[in-house]
Formats: sequence, C-alpha cells, structure tokens
Amino acid sequence: MQTVLKADNIKVQYGGVIAVNHVSVSLNEGEVLGLIGPNGAGKSTLFNAITGFTPISEGSVQFFNQDVTNLPAFERTRVGMGRTFQTERPYEDLTVLENVLVAAFLKNPKRKDAERVALSSLEKVGLSDRAHQLSSDLNLARLRRLELAKALALEPKVLFLDEIMAGLNPPALKDMIEFLRSLTATGISIVMVEHIMEAIIELSDHVVVLASGNKIAEGSAKEVISNEKVIEAYLGTD
Amino acid sequence: MFDYISFFQNLSNGVLIGAVYALIGVGLTLVFGVMRTINFAHGDFVVVGMYFAVLLNSLLGLDPYLTLIFAIPLGFLVGACIQKYLLTRVIDAQHESMLLATLGISLVIANLLLLGFGGEPQSVNVSYSTSTLSLGEVRISVVLLFAGLATVTVITALYLLLNKTEIGRAIRATAENRLGAELVGVNTKRIQAIVFGLGMSLAVTAGVALIPLLFASPVTTGAVFTLKAFVVTVLGGLGNIGAAILGGLVLGVVEVLGASYLDSAYRDAYGLVVFLLVLLLKPEGLFGKTVKRV
Amino acid sequence: MNKNYTILIGLAILAALFPVVSSSYITIGLTVLMFAGWASSWNILGGWAGQLSLGHATFVGLGAYFVAIGSTQFGIAPWWAILMGMAVAGILAFFWGKLTFGLRGPYFTLSTIAIAEIIRLIAINEGWLTGCASGVFIDYLPEPFGLDLFDKTVQYYMMLIYAVITIGITIFISTRKFGYQLKAVRDNEEAAMAAGINPTAIKLKAFVLSAMLTALGGGVYGIFLSFIEPHIIFNLLLSVQIALTVIIGGRGTVWGPAVGAALLIIFGEIFRTVFEQANMLVYGILILVVILALPKGIVGEYAQRLIRRKYANRA
Repeated sequence: MQTVLKADNIKVQYGGVIAVNHVSVSLNEGEVLGLIGPNGAGKSTLFNAITGFTPISEGSVQFFNQDVTNLPAFERTRVGMGRTFQTERPYEDLTVLENVLVAAFLKNPKRKDAERVALSSLEKVGLSDRAHQLSSDLNLARLRRLELAKALALEPKVLFLDEIMAGLNPPALKDMIEFLRSLTATGISIVMVEHIMEAIIELSDHVVVLASGNKIAEGSAKEVISNEKVIEAYLGTD
Repeated sequence: MFDYISFFQNLSNGVLIGAVYALIGVGLTLVFGVMRTINFAHGDFVVVGMYFAVLLNSLLGLDPYLTLIFAIPLGFLVGACIQKYLLTRVIDAQHESMLLATLGISLVIANLLLLGFGGEPQSVNVSYSTSTLSLGEVRISVVLLFAGLATVTVITALYLLLNKTEIGRAIRATAENRLGAELVGVNTKRIQAIVFGLGMSLAVTAGVALIPLLFASPVTTGAVFTLKAFVVTVLGGLGNIGAAILGGLVLGVVEVLGASYLDSAYRDAYGLVVFLLVLLLKPEGLFGKTVKRV
Repeated sequence: MNKNYTILIGLAILAALFPVVSSSYITIGLTVLMFAGWASSWNILGGWAGQLSLGHATFVGLGAYFVAIGSTQFGIAPWWAILMGMAVAGILAFFWGKLTFGLRGPYFTLSTIAIAEIIRLIAINEGWLTGCASGVFIDYLPEPFGLDLFDKTVQYYMMLIYAVITIGITIFISTRKFGYQLKAVRDNEEAAMAAGINPTAIKLKAFVLSAMLTALGGGVYGIFLSFIEPHIIFNLLLSVQIALTVIIGGRGTVWGPAVGAALLIIFGEIFRTVFEQANMLVYGILILVVILALPKGIVGEYAQRLIRRKYANRA
C-alpha cells in the first residue's frame, strides 16, 4: 500500500514557543489517521503546518512522493489536499451552491461540469434542498456540512478534517461517522483532528497522540486509549 | 561651503510647519486610537476651522486666534454630534464602512462649504501676516511662530487632559481595550463621542492657526490636509499620540528640506513617498506598534 | 446570466435611440455612459475582488494622455493610442498591485491615494512626459469611415460601445470560474486558498483588467474633452466619484455600476442646475444613506432580497 502522506520531523516555532516539536506522522492510502491530544497539544498547528496554513520551521512534508514543504497552501490544495476549517468559513455573499461551486471549479473549469460536481457534493452532505439559500442564513450545523461539501467538491486525494464532529448530537454523529466510512471505501484517505473519541475509535486505522507539542504515543485506537501516558496527558497527574 | 544659515532657516520653517502638521495628525490619531477608524473628513474639519476664522474675521473683524474661543467648543460639539448621531449607527461589519461613512461626511462638509462660501480661495489678512522675527541671521515668520505656539499649547493641554484627569484616564482605557474599559464601568459610547469632538476641536484649531498663512478652498484643501494627516499618523504609528507629534515634525522637515535641496515642485510628494515606504516596509510606523499587514 | 445579456442588448438599443429622441441631453447621456463604463471597470477590482481603490483616475488619465500625445506629437490614430494606453495601464496596475496587495483593507486604500497623488504630481511637473504642464490640446483627429470624432453624437456612440463592452465583460465574468474566484477571495481569503485559489494572482488579474478597461474609457474621454490638463484628469475627486458610483449602485453586481452612474449623474445635473455647483453633495449624502441603510448598495440589496424571496418560495 502506498504511503500518501509523510510528515517528517515537523517543528513549528513561534518566537520562543515551540508549538510542534519534531513530530512525524504518515498515512497510507485509503486509511484514516486520527490526531488527538488535550487542548493546546499542537494538533491544529500540526494540521495547519501539513496543509500549508502555518509555516514550518523545520521538517518536510511529502505528499504522494512529492515534496510539498515549500508549496503555499493553495498549491497543496491543487495537488490533492482538501481541508475543512474548525470555525466555518463560508463565502457569505454567495449562496450555498455557489460556495461549493468555488471549490468545484478547481478540477472542473467549465461551469456546467463544476455545477454538476457541486450539486453532487451537496447531495452527499444532505444540503441539496438549500442549494439556493444564502450561506449567511445557515445555522452552525448546516454550515459545518457546507464546509465538508466544499472540501469534497475539490475531489481531494486526502481529506483533512479539523474537529468536524464537534458539537454534533448523537444521531448526527453517527451519520457523519457512517458517511466518512463510506468515503474511505471510495479510496479517499483521511486525516482527522478530533476530540470526540467515539469517532476516533470507529474510524481510525492509526492514531497519533500529541501533548505539549510532542508525540507521546501512536498506534491503533485501542492501544492508544489504554496507554498510561495518554491517560495522564488528558487527565493530568495528581 | 555648506550654507548653514539657509539650512537652519529651512529647519526652523520645517519644524514650525511640522508642529501644525502634528496638531492635525494628533487629532486623527486620537480618533483612531479610540475608535479604530480612519477619519476621511479630518482635513475638512481643518478647513471648517479656516472658514470659521474667515467668517468671523469678515463679519466682526476678529483676529483668527480670538475666534478660537468660539471655534474650539463649537468644533467639539459638532464633532461629538456627528459621532453620536451618525457614526454610531455604522455597524463595522467591515472596516470600510467607517471609512466610507467619513468619506461621505467629508463630501457633505466640503460641498456645504462650497455652497456657503463659493469656490474662490479665501484667506484672512492680519496685520502681522508678513512680519518676521530674527534669530541671528535666521528669519522666522511670526504667523508660523504663533501657529507653532498654538500647537504647543494645545498639545500640552491635551497631554494634561489625558494624563491628569478622570476623563483622560477613561479615554486611555477605551483606546487600550474597549471591552475592558466597559467592564470597569466606562461609558465607551460617550467617550467615543467626546474623543471625536476633541479630534474636531484639534482640527479646527489647526485650521485657525493656518489661515493667515494659506488660502482655503472648500473642495481641494480638505483632501490635502487629510492626506497630510494620514502621512503623519502612519509615520508615527496609528494611535500613538507622542509619535504623531514626532511624525508631524518629520513630515514638516522632510517637505521643507526636500523642496529646498531637491525639487520644490515635488514638495508634497516627499512626504507621500516616505509614507508609502513606511506603509510597505515598517507598517507599525517609525515609532508605533499597530500592524497593518495582511 | 443569459438573461443579463438580453437586458444589455435591450438597454443598448434604447440608449442608441436616445440621441435621436433628445439631442439636447446628449452630453448628459454620454456622461452617464462614461461613468457606467468606468464604474463597471472599477467594479471588477473594487466590487468583485473587494479591493477598494481610490486611485483609478490614474488610468483614466493614462488613456486620455496616450490619445492626446499620440495624436499631437506622434500622429498616431486614437485607436492605436488607446490600445497602447491600455497596455501601459495594465503594466502599471500589475506592479502597483504587486507592491500594495499585502496591505490590509483601509491601508491598501490609503496606498492607492498616495500612489495616485505621486503620479499626478509627476504628470504636472514632467512636461516632457505630458506635453505641457498647462495641458494638451487635441486639434486634429483622423476620420474613420468619414466620422467626425469631435462630433458629440459620434462620441456618444463611442461611449455607448464602451459601456456595453465593460458591462458585457462583467456579465461574462459573473458566470465563469474567474468571477467566483474573485468573490471567494473577497469574502474569505483563507477559505479561497483552501479551495486552491491563489489570492494574489487573482487580485492582480482583477487589477490589470480593471485598469485596462478604465484606460479605454479614459481614451474616449480624452477625445470628448479635447483639452487635457494633468491636475484635472488625475484628480482624486474623480477616483472618489467612480468608487462611490459603484458602492452606491452595488458592488459586485452586474447592474449596480450602471444604476449608480445613471442615478448620480442625473441627480448631480439636477442639483447643478439649481445650485450651480457642489453637485458632489449628492454623492456624500447618498453614500451615507447607503452605509446606514443599504450596505450592499441599491442593486446589491435588491438582489439579496430577491434571492431570499426566491428561496423562501421554493421551500
């Protein structure tokens, strides 16, 4: 199986603070990688560093055997990284459909094709009936789905999800987990930053745990949650 | 042989003009510090001061500096009202809304002045318009000197207000952290109105100080002053009053020296070029701390 | 979208008939068309890309000066001169944008004012560039197909073509990838990056296109004026007028600029006949009205309400 993503020895430093301290992660094709850790662990920073939204002080990122370390964020999207944002970022003046169209245009320069892809994307997340609503009129839950639809319309090779499960009620959570599972069946690989353990346990093939910028454990979901160091990091020592 | 005399002549002119620029800039930066808004109408407020002096001079024969007695409180009131009744309604969904609103106010004021006073440039003639004082070989225009003195007085008064009074403390608190100030009981809405009023008072004072020197033309002069005020505040770092004073002096000196030693036709351009350089290279201003980069 | 083209054709036909119907108001009609064209050009950068420029008079001046100098000093026909002016405008915009697009909102706007001012001062002072500080007089123009280019009616039709071109291009962009990329960058630059869009490249394209189209109008304006003075044509007030026309009419919409132009020029004229001057007062009052009550501009607000109503009816 091919290694689609390889982040080596990533260090992210702001001034005197080391947010990510020499962390390496890798992802194989069709797999789901979970990134977990207590607040402030550096998960989002690592996530942003890999996708190009935060500069890397040291280390490298290989994507499908291509060195993308020095590529700006939009180039990384073009080579196949599709990400969502933890705080939803809709294009407020545009309708729901138009929001997704923007992303769909990446691989489909012609309006007709882009529209087809966008509509299909909306259908997958269950927002088809709201296609012509102004995105600024959506509630948070639907905005979340819109984020996902936008990322999907990019037809990415690897999907990067930033806390996509946060705040979902149990039925919605189940739906999302099932949905992501079906996605991986189509060959998309996923990197997910998560706090919701249920999702991690259900979906991840491999989990990496960060605390205070360092990788403190990695392995399967089961291995990791019973790891003493991990429990300590989450709960603190007495 | 370096001509020291004319150098000092230029320097003194530059410093005095710079003082007036500082006065204009301080008003703008004060407003920015508290309201985080760039006031496009600031230059027009200066022109209002100029026309006010012209009016009282032609009606009552008053010396411009005497008109300050009325101009300062009136300016304050008008400014405070504009802020309270107009600008508070502007919801900063985007920062541009404030910018555009002040642009609108600028156009309204300039054109009302045009309607009221006509398009011919006007000025005020005082007995000392052309008098000069001599410091050794260096000649200093009396009007410029008065303007400089007025500036120093006003800025000192402002300093005392900001640092020694209750209101001053409230203003500084609001500028630092509006939410925090609200939490400790400061009525920030009132403070914003007060500050805008103060800004206009400062502008009006500068206008009065300048009218014996310059001609006021309703539509163009305002924009010129607004631009100069921007240059001063950006040079100094938006929101930083002490730095704005320095910025004003720098601008005054740069302009006069540039006009004398380089090309006088480009006098206004020197300040603009420095302004651009600062914006692009050192966005926090030569002395300041706010960030302007994406 | 296709219906926008139909509307454009309809309006163009109406506008073409206008001089036949009323010959005394040709100049006003011409002015409306001119501002509709300039506003539509500005809209690409200021409305679609969301970058508020207050320096566009520079490109007007470029167009006008290329025509003026071209005909008086080099004997170049205006259509070639305009093309050259457009090219130079595009190149200037490219470097201008590269220099200043890193600045945030209001600071970008300030920088446009500063750069435009510097260019204005250069134009006034460098007589060798602009022919003469006190102005250039176009005394001769060729007669293509026997048309007298100094005739107001001919100029009216030239402006009409200009307005149609710029609005047509706007409609074209509005349905295509470029239009959506512009709006994405405007609404949320980070999200746009995550969608594979290069924000700086997009803004530069918008600036270059906007500048070139503005210069095109400037060239025709030069022919209309026939006497060109640097301090009048490179004027901040003109830049402000153009920008406000779009903001009042509705940024980022297809018809906003034209509606704004028609409204403001006509109101301004009425104002001028009553008060003789200060017709910019209308701009000041209307921009305040827009900011306080109609933030998306007249057409923008209307379009938004229309979308909401259409959606509500469907659901």
